[in-house]
Amino acid sequence: MTDTALPTFIAESRELLAEMEVALLECEQGNAGPEAVNAIFRAAHTIKGSSGLFGLDGIVAFTHVVESVLDRVRAAALPMDRALAAILLECRDHIERLVGVVADGKADDGDLIAAGERLLQKLNMHTGGSSASAANTDVVATAAYAAAPGERWHISVMFHTEVLRNGMDPLSFIRYLSTLGEITHLQLNTERLPSPEDFDAEACYLGFEIELASQEGRQRIEGAFEFVREDCTLQIRSKAQAAYEATAGREAETRDARSARDIKSADNRSLRVDGDKLDKLIDLIGELVTAGAATTITARKAGLSELNESTLRLARLVEEVRDQALKLRMVQIGPTFSRFQRVVRDVAREIGKEIRLEIGGAETELDKTLIESITDPLTHLVRNAIDHGIETADVRRARGKGAEGVVRLEAYHDSGSVVIEVADDGGGLKRERILAKAIERGLITDGSSLTDSQVFALIFEPGFSTAEQVTNLSGRGVGMDVVKRNVNALRGTVELDSKEGEGTTVRIRLPLTLAIIDGFLVGVGGSSFVIPLELVEECVELGDEHRSTDGEQRYINLRGAVLPFIRLREMFAIRSTAARRESIVVIRCAGQRFGIVVDELLGELQTVIKPLSRLFSRIRGIGGSTILGTGQLALILDVPSLLDLCLSSSQAPVAPRIALAD
Amino acid sequence: MAKRILIVDDSASVRQVSNMALTRAGYEVIEATDGQDALGKLAGKINLIISDVNMPRMDGISFLKAVKAHPNYKFTPVIMLTTEAGEDKKNEGRAAGAKAWIVKPFQPQTMLDAVAKLCLA
Repeated sequence: MTDTALPTFIAESRELLAEMEVALLECEQGNAGPEAVNAIFRAAHTIKGSSGLFGLDGIVAFTHVVESVLDRVRAAALPMDRALAAILLECRDHIERLVGVVADGKADDGDLIAAGERLLQKLNMHTGGSSASAANTDVVATAAYAAAPGERWHISVMFHTEVLRNGMDPLSFIRYLSTLGEITHLQLNTERLPSPEDFDAEACYLGFEIELASQEGRQRIEGAFEFVREDCTLQIRSKAQAAYEATAGREAETRDARSARDIKSADNRSLRVDGDKLDKLIDLIGELVTAGAATTITARKAGLSELNESTLRLARLVEEVRDQALKLRMVQIGPTFSRFQRVVRDVAREIGKEIRLEIGGAETELDKTLIESITDPLTHLVRNAIDHGIETADVRRARGKGAEGVVRLEAYHDSGSVVIEVADDGGGLKRERILAKAIERGLITDGSSLTDSQVFALIFEPGFSTAEQVTNLSGRGVGMDVVKRNVNALRGTVELDSKEGEGTTVRIRLPLTLAIIDGFLVGVGGSSFVIPLELVEECVELGDEHRSTDGEQRYINLRGAVLPFIRLREMFAIRSTAARRESIVVIRCAGQRFGIVVDELLGELQTVIKPLSRLFSRIRGIGGSTILGTGQLALILDVPSLLDLCLSSSQAPVAPRIALAD
Repeated sequence: MAKRILIVDDSASVRQVSNMALTRAGYEVIEATDGQDALGKLAGKINLIISDVNMPRMDGISFLKAVKAHPNYKFTPVIMLTTEAGEDKKNEGRAAGAKAWIVKPFQPQTMLDAVAKLCLA
């Protein structure tokens, strides 16, 4: 029965563990308030509670100890210091592993149990507490079958006047008794009934004398009255035994009442929806947008003003639906950023640097798929910043900086795209060293004419690494080019700013969503292409003087600046003669400008990206396809790779084979 | 007619498992995610309420007080879910009139047993 609910438990636990980690890291840094401790406690508490439901005794037992420690912290009986936070972090990781084992459907493994024991010992040593035993918490004690089969019991119960007002129905207990055995005799005790004028309709004046034939033990029978112990006088006698006095109301706990309000995560009103359903919805809305565009075009052709008006209204609604649907996929980047607290802490500790992670723009939203895909590149960049960017404490002091280095993750929206920055206040990039290395690696021959940003761009070249020594974190030269490739695959770009001695900032610019783009439609011969609109800077006519050169000269003078360009007709070997007039679409991408020569400028459109099948995945220059409102197919240009082609030195033979084959 | 039980807990897995166990045992179950949500669902026949203590927005104790003050539901039995670490809450709950408790973590059978004592299916 519980199997079907297990995924809910696992997802819930993972969320709570993530919250727990954030709060623990805050505690470790010493800037946490009571709400952080509460959050940690609540996470442990809820995980324990739900894992018990699933009979996951290992998790219950382990979490129970952790929870007890946390409860002492909450009660201010134990200080939450760095050391405790560090141990609790390890415990958190252990719980995560335990949950992982459940998620994988594996049996408990001995090593893991042993590791858990060691952790608990460590925890106990630190807290000085005696080892709290595993939870044995069921309120209903398992019955001790003391009575002989078929034993007869005499139960005498007198309910107190308040029992009804306390929400207890005397009848329900009698009914429950009948599930434990057979009630052979029942007599109502009415001696406390008052005179009619004193009668309170909401009060209970009744008592019962019950004869029960049951095989259950005394405990089970007494248990039936568990919830009314304080509201009744109960006597249970075994007929075979001597009279047994059982008075209700045994518990008398007098502990200080202390209010502790738990701060809950803000998203507890949210609805969990299967990602596939959402994808399907987005997909359908994509089709809707396309169909809507077709209708609008048809209506315009038909020339009926009423039809035109209604299709426009429809188009506006479709647009709204699309925006709302896309928002469904949007998630805040904060949790992803927070995960790096742990990375920074662990890595900094490992290599003996003092580093703090600052986070900005945690509430910035972007497409969930993007967040998932951006985590790896970000990890690379953060590790790079820690490993190569931030200097050791000694060096920093010598340079007059604070001993503690700062890595900053920041996200913000910027004209239709999302920018994620990874900045450090470390040593910055050294132009000479990059140049020397680039020449050594044969990436360039002479760097004297390159601007700083062109030099810095070299570190994104495959096989480039200037780390003086290879550490186990990074510095194997497989870092930055992978980052760039990953980001480009998401239709994003990477830029890098650096000042020697002051630090480095890597800026990743991503589209808001992967599903739909605002595009600029251009035509070459009979084919249509879509250029992402946010990259288009302007369109200019290609002057006759550049047309005759037929591929020799590949740049124009655009208001005094050199603008290199490529011809789509050549790139994709479109077999048609050049149109009478050609235009250049000026593109700005990754801080550089270049032109794309096309026949026709067809205007803006909003379009749904259909990924290309794997067969075409290695084709450079094309990022996807889309179906136009007219039913025609258009290819979406992959601008960053076109830029590479345009700027690469091997640009001369832009034969289609080379351009298209990677 | 099946007995109707309102289960109030912010943990989706607790709700789901309880719901399944109770439904199997022949009860009709309504779920609420916290006290406030539950107040909105107090309508029609409700034979029993099971409420977590530790919840966002409105915790179980405040919810219990609200139920006790509700003209239609003040006689409805309420089972509180708590943990052994929550003794202080228990005292607070007692003061508010809570009588029945189930200590988390519990097995579904424990819940069914407790429910049966107050309202047999």
